[in-house]
Amino acid sequence: MSWKRMAAIMAVFYAVVGILPLFVGDMRFVMHILIMCLIWAVVASCWDVIMGFAGIFSFGQVAFFVAGAYCSAMLAYHLHIPPVWTILIAGCFTGVLGVLVGLPCLKLAGPYVALVTFGVHMTLTPLLRGKIGIAMGSGGATGLLTIPPIQLFGWTFSSEHLVPFFYLTFAVTIICSAIILIIIKSFWGTAFLALKDSEEFATSLGVNAFKYKLMVFAITSFITGVIGAFYGHYVGMLSTRMLNLDLFCTLMVMLVVGGIGQFPGAILGAFITVTVNELLAPLGMYRPLIMGALVAALVLLLPEGVIGLIRSIGSMWRQNDPQTIPSS
Amino acid sequence: MRKLQFAVFALAMCLITAPGAFAADTIKVGVPLAMTGSYTGAGENYWQGIKMAIDEINEGGGLLGKQLEVVRFDSKEYAPEVVMQGADYLCGQMKVASVQAGWSGWGQDVRAYGKYDQPFFCDDGSEAAVQVFREDPEKYGNIFQLTDTGINQAKSMFRVLMALPQKHHNNKVVIINTDDAWGTEVGDTMVESFKEKGWDVAKRETVPYGTIEWGPILTQIRKIDPAIIHVEIPSSQEVITFFRQFMKAPTNSVLSYGWSIVPREVMDTLGKEADGLIGEMPTAMPGPKAPNAKAQAWVDKFEKLYGHSPQGGSWAVYSGVMAWANAVKAVGDETKFKEINKYIQEHGYVGETGLWKWDADNVVRAGGDVPVGHYQVQNGQLVCIYTDPPTKPYADYKYQTPPWIKN
Repeated sequence: MSWKRMAAIMAVFYAVVGILPLFVGDMRFVMHILIMCLIWAVVASCWDVIMGFAGIFSFGQVAFFVAGAYCSAMLAYHLHIPPVWTILIAGCFTGVLGVLVGLPCLKLAGPYVALVTFGVHMTLTPLLRGKIGIAMGSGGATGLLTIPPIQLFGWTFSSEHLVPFFYLTFAVTIICSAIILIIIKSFWGTAFLALKDSEEFATSLGVNAFKYKLMVFAITSFITGVIGAFYGHYVGMLSTRMLNLDLFCTLMVMLVVGGIGQFPGAILGAFITVTVNELLAPLGMYRPLIMGALVAALVLLLPEGVIGLIRSIGSMWRQNDPQTIPSS
Repeated sequence: MRKLQFAVFALAMCLITAPGAFAADTIKVGVPLAMTGSYTGAGENYWQGIKMAIDEINEGGGLLGKQLEVVRFDSKEYAPEVVMQGADYLCGQMKVASVQAGWSGWGQDVRAYGKYDQPFFCDDGSEAAVQVFREDPEKYGNIFQLTDTGINQAKSMFRVLMALPQKHHNNKVVIINTDDAWGTEVGDTMVESFKEKGWDVAKRETVPYGTIEWGPILTQIRKIDPAIIHVEIPSSQEVITFFRQFMKAPTNSVLSYGWSIVPREVMDTLGKEADGLIGEMPTAMPGPKAPNAKAQAWVDKFEKLYGHSPQGGSWAVYSGVMAWANAVKAVGDETKFKEINKYIQEHGYVGETGLWKWDADNVVRAGGDVPVGHYQVQNGQLVCIYTDPPTKPYADYKYQTPPWIKN
């Protein structure tokens, strides 16, 4: 997909999302879902870059998200550093963490990368809950229950006032999405795709696999850490329950729904998945069952996700357009 | 294809508008419980108690002449944003008149539901939740805890362990707990209490949920040969596997399960095999014989409805619904939240066993008419042998030396 078309889809989509608070601004529940959609959209997009574009089976995205959230929250809570700075520090921290995780992964192939990165995810819970975590100020098993809100230009952005927070998240999400779009459509993105398709061939053309793979780990974990930190200051409390498989699976569903390697599909996938998940909530225990069935059906019917569907509709429309039919 | 699209659209619209479709003259009660995920079992126990209370009120003509309508929310595994979402959905969106929960976030819930005024009843049993409440008691005045904190429950367990008429062969204790807030709160308090009493805490092990292979830990326990082993894991598969592997070569130890004895699957699976095990239930209805006729009638009704004895939490949440309904009747308007909260705080509620009184932290502290029940498995059923505080034997039931202890 050309970058113009990607940008157009994102622009239309974000324009629609941007005006939603005019209609639902007084509905806290809906506003909360919209904010979470924006946050998950960034996480899912980052995961899509590393897995869908770079072809690295990394399962550490939730871990980077939680690490960023905890890092920023602990700095703001214990050292009283303004959240605006702690969010950036958290991004840098997870960026470095991403590089450290990425280094051993460079020597590994597909499923082994998944194992290592998922290992990082699994070790985070005992680390944060245990003595090391408590010594660092993670709050142990209880977690952190008093995370200060974001203060910017004298304004306080917190979950108490959802509309201002929505627009702050909206701005951050657009910036993150734009960065991801630029990366994908730049030489870096082409290098990621080349390495994904054939590492040997790409290397023979001068693409440095070491450099680009490490770069994708650093960038995606930086952005994920930043949005994770943002999440912590929004919700105002953190616990290791975020590392349960429920969130991990939901994020994966977002990718599948949007289409893996079909950016900006992950953004659409996040909104669709969260919305459907909420609509199915009254069904209780049948919710995961139906979600699972929907995902299975989607994988079979739309292997390229909703973006694939949009593309098919677009090409059908162009075929039926009399102006595009060549005259004999 | 168009028909299919229409059907999907229609289904989505039905799901969106379904809650509003029942907006008749009813009073909505929010029930956020785990319906999926690892806490589903506990969620079901709580649901039984809440449903029993709501059905009873509706069958009796409703509250202020209106039927109660339940609005459920799946708390899943209590991730922070889900707890917050539950509060915004039930209190903000669905405008429920009260929220009746069980476990609901161990402090996260106080923040989430404290933003609203609707009375919120929960069963956190958490010191962290109390600490959050103390930050702003006025703001969180709508939060009512149905059980005492893990710290106080652990102290109660310790007192009863010391009161057991059991001759110990040494003063060594082994404590095993989960790595969550509940497990560490109880584990830490037990360690402290035993040390204060001059006992040797020979081993303290914190394990994650899902631990079912106990070989290495049991090898060390057999080497220590402690007088008491306390296991605090509120999940059935872990404690069932621990018991069965322990019984392959048991030590002469009192096996104390604390709250771990509560999940229904533990007794359903082990039955008479578990004879000798001891454990506790906070805000529990002592049994098998209830303390009075009114309480016995409640137990009989519960057993008739569900086919098993009431598990931990069922009676607590039942009482939460009744306490709220009682306050609504007294105030005369289910929407006057602040007045209802004030009434509950000041008057409490007289239930089957006596007075439920919330203290300055809005917690029903153990003791008085609602003590902690300490049980032993005897002949395949949970028998209340002590209530605490104060520590005193319950009814005619007596502690029995566990069959694996050979003196």
